[in-house]
Order: sequence, then C-alpha cells, then structure tokens
Amino acid sequence: MAPQDDNLWYKDAVIYQVHVRTFCDSDGNGVGDFRGLTNKLDYLQELGINAVWLLPFYPSPLRDDGYDIADYTSVNPTYGTIEDFKAFLQAAHARKIRVITELVVNHTSDQHPWFQEARSSRDNPKRDWYVWSDTDDKYKGVRIIFIDTEMSNWSWDPISKTYYWHRFFSHQPDLNYDNPAVKEAVWEVMKFWLDIGVDGFRLDAVPYLVEREGTSCENLPETHTVIKELRARLDDAFPGKMLLAEANMWPADVRDYFGQGDGDEFHMAFHFPLMPRMFMAVKLEDRKPIIDILEQTPQIPDNCQWCIFLRNHDELTLEMVTDIERDYMYDSFAGDKTMRINLGIRRRLAPLLENDRRRIELLNGLLLSMPGTPIIYYGDEIGMGDNVYLGDRNGVRTPMQWNGGWNAGFSSSDPERLYSPLISNPVYGYQSVNVEAQRRTEHSLLSWTKSVIQTRNSFRVFSRGSIDFLSPSNHRVLAYVRQLGEEKVLVVNNLSSSAQAVELNLQSFKGHIPIEMFGRNLFPRIGELPYLLTLAPYQFFWFRLRRI
Amino acid sequence: MKDTIVQGLQQAYQNMAHMIAEFLPRLVVMLVIVLTGVLVAYAFKYAARMILRLTKLDRLSEEAGASKVLRMAALPSMTEVLSRSVFWITLLGFILIGISVLNIAGLQEQVSRLLRLLPEIVVAMLILFLGLVIANFLSRAVLLGSVNRGYGSALLFSWSVRFIIWILAITMALDELSVARQTVLAAFSIVFGAFMLGLAIAFGYGGQDLARKFLERSLAEKKPDDSDELQPL
Amino acid sequence: MAEDTTLSDDLLRQLMSVGEADLLVAIPTYNNEGTIGQTIQAIEDSYQQNFVRDRVAILNVDGGSADQTQEIVLNLNGKKSSLRRGITSLRTVHRVTAQYGRGPSQGSALKIVLAAADLLRVKACAVVSPATTVLDPAWVANLLRPAYKQDFAFVAPLYSRTKFQGLLARNLLYPMSRAVFGVRIREMYADEWGFSGRLASECASEQMDEAVRARPEAWMAVNAICNGMKCSQSYLGPRTATPGGPDIVETIRQTVGNLFYCCDAFQDHWLDRTGTESVQTFGSDHELTAEDAPSRQDKSFELFRNGVQTLDSVLKSILAKETHAKLKEIATKDIDQFDFPSELWVRVLYDFAAAYHRTTIARDHILQALAPLYRGQLFSFLSDQAQSTPEEMEADTESLCLEFERQKPYLIERWKAKS
Repeated sequence: MAPQDDNLWYKDAVIYQVHVRTFCDSDGNGVGDFRGLTNKLDYLQELGINAVWLLPFYPSPLRDDGYDIADYTSVNPTYGTIEDFKAFLQAAHARKIRVITELVVNHTSDQHPWFQEARSSRDNPKRDWYVWSDTDDKYKGVRIIFIDTEMSNWSWDPISKTYYWHRFFSHQPDLNYDNPAVKEAVWEVMKFWLDIGVDGFRLDAVPYLVEREGTSCENLPETHTVIKELRARLDDAFPGKMLLAEANMWPADVRDYFGQGDGDEFHMAFHFPLMPRMFMAVKLEDRKPIIDILEQTPQIPDNCQWCIFLRNHDELTLEMVTDIERDYMYDSFAGDKTMRINLGIRRRLAPLLENDRRRIELLNGLLLSMPGTPIIYYGDEIGMGDNVYLGDRNGVRTPMQWNGGWNAGFSSSDPERLYSPLISNPVYGYQSVNVEAQRRTEHSLLSWTKSVIQTRNSFRVFSRGSIDFLSPSNHRVLAYVRQLGEEKVLVVNNLSSSAQAVELNLQSFKGHIPIEMFGRNLFPRIGELPYLLTLAPYQFFWFRLRRI
Repeated sequence: MKDTIVQGLQQAYQNMAHMIAEFLPRLVVMLVIVLTGVLVAYAFKYAARMILRLTKLDRLSEEAGASKVLRMAALPSMTEVLSRSVFWITLLGFILIGISVLNIAGLQEQVSRLLRLLPEIVVAMLILFLGLVIANFLSRAVLLGSVNRGYGSALLFSWSVRFIIWILAITMALDELSVARQTVLAAFSIVFGAFMLGLAIAFGYGGQDLARKFLERSLAEKKPDDSDELQPL
Repeated sequence: MAEDTTLSDDLLRQLMSVGEADLLVAIPTYNNEGTIGQTIQAIEDSYQQNFVRDRVAILNVDGGSADQTQEIVLNLNGKKSSLRRGITSLRTVHRVTAQYGRGPSQGSALKIVLAAADLLRVKACAVVSPATTVLDPAWVANLLRPAYKQDFAFVAPLYSRTKFQGLLARNLLYPMSRAVFGVRIREMYADEWGFSGRLASECASEQMDEAVRARPEAWMAVNAICNGMKCSQSYLGPRTATPGGPDIVETIRQTVGNLFYCCDAFQDHWLDRTGTESVQTFGSDHELTAEDAPSRQDKSFELFRNGVQTLDSVLKSILAKETHAKLKEIATKDIDQFDFPSELWVRVLYDFAAAYHRTTIARDHILQALAPLYRGQLFSFLSDQAQSTPEEMEADTESLCLEFERQKPYLIERWKAKS
C-alpha cells in the first residue's frame, strides 16, 4: 500500500463495534476489561475485521452507558488501567487492527471536575466552560432529544442558582464552544490519545456543539468552524488519523460535515437513514426504500466515506424515516411495545429477523457490498439475541457469548455478579449461540460471516468502487454494479421470501463472464439478450465480471 | 248385335276384372310399401333424432347462429327440423316407389321426372324460405331503425325492403327450377325498375323536404336528439 | 374469444415483475390522452394516501389508441415527494400496460383486467374511467376498500346527481334489476366499480357473452349476486356528464340488453327468489341536487306514439295481448292527458324480458323496439316530476321498485309460458 493510500485506511476497513465491558472479563469481577479484550484479539483477527470501535471506557458515573464522562484522559478502573489500554493498542496494531475511540465532547458528566468547578461559583474561571442562563427561556423551540425522560433542555443548578444547558440527559451539561479555552482543552484530550496511538475518533453528538438564539441549535455554521479547526490541527500533527461523525440527520444535512472541497471536516459519517430502509426493503419485498434513499444521498469528497451499519449499541433509530415508515417498522419489527424505546427499536439483528438465517445473510450481504465502511456490532456475527426487559438499551449490551460453559465463557465470577444477566433463552441463549460451537462447524453463521468478510476484503471495489443500480422490472430484486477501474462486481439480491426470476440489462458488460465470488463458478457469458437469473428466497449473488 | 254387345260388355267386364285382378295386388303392394315407408320413416326420424341429440347438434347450431335464424322463422330446433326432414324425405321416397309399382303408364314418367327435379325443388324452396326469413329480418330492422330515428315513412321503407327481397328470392327460385328463364329475368327487371322509378318519383315529389333534411343532417355537425339530451345513465 | 383470454408475452412479463399484488386499479383507455395523466395521478395519490404499505399496481388496458395515451401512461412520472415529510408509498407502484387493439371494447378490456387480477392474486381491484375528469383519489380508495378490507365481492359506486340525470337507471335498470335479482344496487351500470380478487377469478373463468361486453360491470355484479357473494356500494361524489355518449337506442342496447341477457343466463338463480335485500352502503347515501326541469319533450311523445302505431306487428310478437292493447290505448291519448302508468310500464318490461328470453324475434330487434316505449315513459315521468322535490322523486322511484317487485310473479309466469 502506498503511504498516501494508507491514510485512507478507513475506506477499506471493516469495523467491529464493541464495549470493553461486554466482551471479556479477565479478572473475574463480572465486568469485561481491556486485558480480556486483548486476549480476544485473535478472535477478531480471525473474523477478518481490521478496526475496532470502542465505546466509552472512561471514568464515569455510568448513567448513560459511559457517554457521561467524568475524566477524559484515563480509563475507568473497572476496565483496567491506562497501561492495560496501551498494551491492548499495541497488540491490536500488531494484528493490523486499528482502534477507534469515542470522543464525547458535546457534554461532560456533571461529575466532571470541569463542571464541579464551573458550578462552584459564578466567577470561577471555568464558569464559562458551560452554558448558563438565569432563565429557561433562552433557545426556545429547540427540540428535546430524549423525549421519554427529559422535559426541558435547561436544568436548574441548585449550587450556583442558575440554569445550565443540556441537549441530552440533565446530568450531561453541554460544553460551551464559544469559549476558546474549551476548544483548547478538547484538543488536549485528542492529543493525549493520539500520542498513545489511537487511530481515530468517533465524535458523539456533533450537530449540537454550538448554540445560537433563534435557531434550532443544530448544524450551525459555528459548529462547522469548530470542527474545521480541530481537523486542521489533527491533519497537521497526526496525519492518517480519522474522524467519524455521529450526526443522526438526513444525508443532505450530513453532507456538510464532510466539509468543502476535498473534505476538511470529517473523514467519515454514519448513514443513518439507510439502515432502517434495508430492513424495510426486505420486509416489504421491494427495493424502493433503498433506491429512494441512495438517490437522495449526495456525492461526498473523494477522501471521505459513509459508515454503514445494521445494528449498534443504541436502539434501531427511526428518526430518519417518515411517520408512515416508522409505523410500518414498529408494526413489522416491534409488535410488542416493550421493544420500542424513544424513536426506535431496542433489538438485535437476529431477533429482528426472526432468527432467519437467510435474511441475516442477505442483510449482511447488503451491508458488505454497498458503498461505505461497514460496522459489525459485537455478537451479531454469531446471531446473539437480546433481552428487551433489561431496561433502557441494556438488552443489546449483554455479555459476549464465547462458549456454552460457565457465564458463557465471558467471566469466571459468580453469575450473579455479572454487570448484566446473560441471554439464556433456549433459542438465543449462550448454550446454543456461542463462538466455540460456531467455530466448529463450517456452515455456522460465524464461519459464513468470516468467509464473506474475507471475500470483501480481497476486492477493493467493495470499499472504494462506484455504484450503479440496475433497474430490472422485477422490483423484488435489488441489483447493482460496483466498479473500480477494471474491477467490476455485480451484486444481485432477492429481497423477497419467494423464488424470483430477473432479467438484467447488462448491455454495457457484453462479453463479460460472471464468476460467482464465493464458489468461483463460471456463469454463462453476458450476451445481447437480457441476462436471466433465478434466485431462491432471500438469495443473493456476488459476481465478478471478467473479460476472458 | 245383342250378342256382340253382351260379348263386348263381357269382354269389358273381363278386362276390368282382369285389370282389377291385376291392379289390386299392386295396390295392396303399394299400400304395403307406403305403410312400410311410414314405419321406416318413423324409425329413421327417431334414429336421426337420437343421433343428432347425441352429437349435441343443437348447441352447435346455437353457436353457429343457425338456431337464431330458425327461431326467427318460427321453426323448431335444428334437431327437430332435420329429423322431420328425414321423415318426410323417406316417406316421399317410399310413396314414389309405391306409385311406380302401380305401373300406370304416363304416371311412371311423371314420377321419374319429379324425382329428377326433386333436388332443384328442394333448393328452390330453401331459397324461398331464406328469402322469407331475410326479408322479414331486414324489413323489421329497417322499420325499427326508421321509427327510432323518427322518419315518417318507416312502414314504406320497411315494405319496400321486404318486397325487393321477395322478388329477388322468387326470381332466384324460379331460375333454379329453370322455368322460363328469359321471361322471369325480364319480368324481374321490369318490376324492379318500375319499383325503383316509383320510389324515385315518390321521393322527388313527397320527399324533397326529407331529402334536404337528410342531407343537411349528414353534412352538418351531428346534432344530438332532443330527447337524448338527458343523460340516461 | 380465444385471443381475449391469451395474454401477450409482454403483458405476462410485466405481470411476472409485479409478482403478487394486493390492489389493482385498471383504466381501460381509448384515445384518452387528455385525461389519462390526471387519472393515473389520482390513482397514485390514492395509493399514497390510503395504501402506503400495500402491494399495488396500475393496469392500463388500451384499445389501440392512435394518440399519445400509451406513451403518457408509461412515461408519466409520479410526483416525487421528499422522503423527509412527504407521504409516499413504501413499495414500488407498479405500472402495467396491455393492448388488445381492436377498437374500444369494455368487455375485451375487462377480460384482460380479470386475467391480470387473477394472475397477480390481487385482493381487490377497481376499474376507473379515464373519461371521468373529476376522478378523486378518495373515489379509488372507496371502491377498493370494501373489497380489500371487508368481505365484499362487488363494490358499486353511488353518485350525487342532478335531478334529471340517469333516468334510464332510475326508471328501468335499478328497479328491474333489484326486483329480479333481489339485491338493491343503485348503480349497477357505472364507469367505476370495484371487486374482490375472488370475484375476478370467478368471472375470469366465465364466458363473457357478446351481449354483456359493452357493460361488463353489471354482468360482474350479477355474477357476484348469483354466486352468493356480498355486494356493497360506496359513495363517490358527483357524477360527471360525459358528452357525446351513445344515443338512447344504443344505450338501451348496451344496458337493457345486458340486463335481459343476465336475466336469461342466470334464470336458475332468481326464478325462485323472492324479496329484496339492501346492501351495505359506505359513505353518505346518494343524493340529488335540484335542477330546472328540462323543456317539455314533445318529440319523445311523438316518437312514442308513432312507434306504437308503426311497430304494431313487432310489438305483437313481443307483448302479451292485454299489454299490447293497453299500450295502444294510452298511445291514442292526447299529449296533455298522456300518462304511462307504472303498472303498465312494468308489464311492458316483463313482457320484453320474456320475449328476449324466448327470442320470439331477433333479440336486437326486441331491444330496439323498446326505445319508443321508453321515450313514452320518459315523457310521462318528466311531466309528472317536473316540479317535484328530490325527496318526492326518490319516493316515486321507491314505489316503482315496489311495483316491479309486486309484479315479479307475472314475469315468472310469462317466462315459463310456452310460446
């Protein structure tokens, strides 16, 4: 790989998203830790992923799963020490696995020393690090995000007798980005981790950094300025590092976060609206939702990339869908109201798809063949289940299931001591769904996932190629051609539960021979006539198109 | 003289007796033949009816539209028509055979002539029958069409059509029988020509207005009838 | 007939692509380039407003238009509503086009629609007319919903009308079909109607006689009734006047011919049936709007009187002796005293239906002979009802219906009589 190419490593990445707490416990205290995670790096390497995204592991009162940080520059003692983290980072790099961490700098925990100082008196030097107001009238009309729990974006601070601004929970006061000192402090935090060797950051809650009266306080130009500054300093001091934006917005709005020209803000951003539409397309047996949203997705600069995913640690968010679509998603995937939370569905991939192996494979096939860097949420590679009765989104954050033994091989502690109960139902429980069992069989979901990731990794066209949708008249078939130079891949997906025939217009590839990528079998040469394919229910094909 | 008369009478009587003696058996034979004919014809009729019913001829004729023609001519179903024809043709054949048995000079010849003419008679009758049906149908169609369009002389139109078709049918039938071919043709031409002339004159005198209106209507924009202005549906 | 039921390869390919659909709306077209765009838009709007989740398709069946109709159908782009807030169908709205190309024929068009509905296994289907310029998205939904969400096989429309619109339906088609088939469907002869997939399959396998091809909707309704399926009516809106429709004789040929044919073809189902039942009505009941009485239709009377006189021989072979005599008697009346009693009107129609059944003369002639008599009845009705309120008119129709029902035994007697 050429060096400047290497700087685009995030484009070719397959990211594995994991929380230290949930993966492996090395010291038997019932909570996962960095040493445990380091021990399991071989498993991740074997899986074929080449980047790990760690959820927040900082000291925190843990009232928002670690997104309420009390100290930016150390490790929560339950997960280990900063030395443990460094060792993990080294081990990961040795296996060519990059590490992405969380940068939650829109707000801190109210336990953070900065806030403790700021609230202590009105003339404290850190007072200006947060957003204060004597009334709760300021920034009226700004929407409340956690509608299920919060009544207002202002909360009363009994100590300094004023209101402070928070876009999320009331224990998460927002930092004041109009204060240069805050920006400097944030840069110091970034530098701290970059010096250790972290390869990139996922910036949480990006659109909400700056507030202005009379606006929605989202996506403000001032916010973009803050990011541009950070990016410039990053490129200057640490070339090859990556910034990933979490902005749950429509693609046209997210587009701005890639910056102007050749991209001077984020390297990557999540494509939120695509995710529910992949589920919807399969449920509806119609490619329309996917085509519609990708048609509305703007072009992004060459050095930028979308991040796509099926599930993550949060609910399956339904903010970026119409009311009608949301109702449909609820009815189709969360018939039981306990499965719903905020504007979304708190379930894992396998239970969402009724544990139907064909649909799980189809959706993973879509994830890995569409343009963008895919993220796999821990446990989904083996088809782990969830527990919607655990409250909040903890149901999708249960311990990783390594084997069918004591605590699923996650920890040697007493089961009662685990940070969260294991999934134990007969279908999804660790006795039936676990890494060890699936490793043994060639046809397990795990083995399948490995092979499909391996196939993706061996062709750059998947990570960097262009995409052109074919429009066969059969709307239950989603077909597209990925192309990068001479590398051409035809992907054909049957979104329906019944067998389908499809005629593809492949005139521009006349004379090519499709080679099925998993079995490497030759298919008939593409000729004058529309190319006829038949697909079994939920079947998909990846073909390399070769001129031989 | 007396003797001669008596002898003559005797002779005549003997001749007559002889003739009767000779004729009676023939008559009996003829009657037997005709009677057998009736029986055979009945048998044929039933057989024909059975076979036709089995072959579902009625449905066929219904689909071909032949039944409609029959119904319009107030005739029974196709099966019935055909089986009755079988009956009558069979019977006629037997009667003719019977007559030939009688061995009456002259009659024999007539019968054979009749037999030779039979197909032509049948065809001529068929033509007349069809002519009748068609005349009926077309004249009624013209009548209804004219009434619904509000033409004053609907009956005249309708009768004209009927008349023309009749004449045509009669001419054709006679032609088929080769009866006075020339005369019939000439007569037809004269009658038809006269009729058309009459119509033309009638139109000329009485139909000036009508003709003008007709021309106006067909040349000008079609104006809907007053009564149809209200939407029927 | 055979070529009607064979779908073209092209259409089959299109249907394969649609696969299975819940709803199908069909538009039979023939040179409708002016309105087809609006019609398709209205259907798509209806789908987006009412059936966002469902698998839907639009089928255009064209009788070989010489204008741009077909191009418009294929190339018309639906309104692209933004995903953010706009309402849009979740699924692809399929558009299918088919041709039968021998000039316009409702029957041939419907044959294709029925076959397509059957193959697509649709749950509900509606046929709408591209000539209806006021087609509202709600109309489509109202026609589809009873068949889709409920168990109704046939969905007849209900319109609001001006007082003197639809008099053939009011004075003949509705009361007679109601009395004969025992179901009170107000508008059996309409340009828009809906039906269930089951009825579509049923009718697709039936032979469609030439006599019902111009008005196949009524044939479908009778099929539904006689197969014991449920019918309903949905209120749509004001009925539009479609100028340049067929004249009285042609209309009678199409509608009354259809009714008589259905009486004949389905005789096993109604001869023993007594009484009538109402059908479920969705939306408001049909309504009448007042309208100035049309000028006195003296010409109708003239055509009637002349018809009775001139068609004497024809009427003789259709009507019962007493009916004919009475008819001749009223035809001698002066125009100002003229009245066509409803009792006689009913008898006339029952005699006609029975004559049609027995084909005493050519069936088409029987229908043509009815036209002058209808004109007489129309004249009488207009003279009576010129000043009446909509309510009075409704009451009059109801009493006519009851007269038809009362005399049904007479129809049966004439029906079964040996000629």
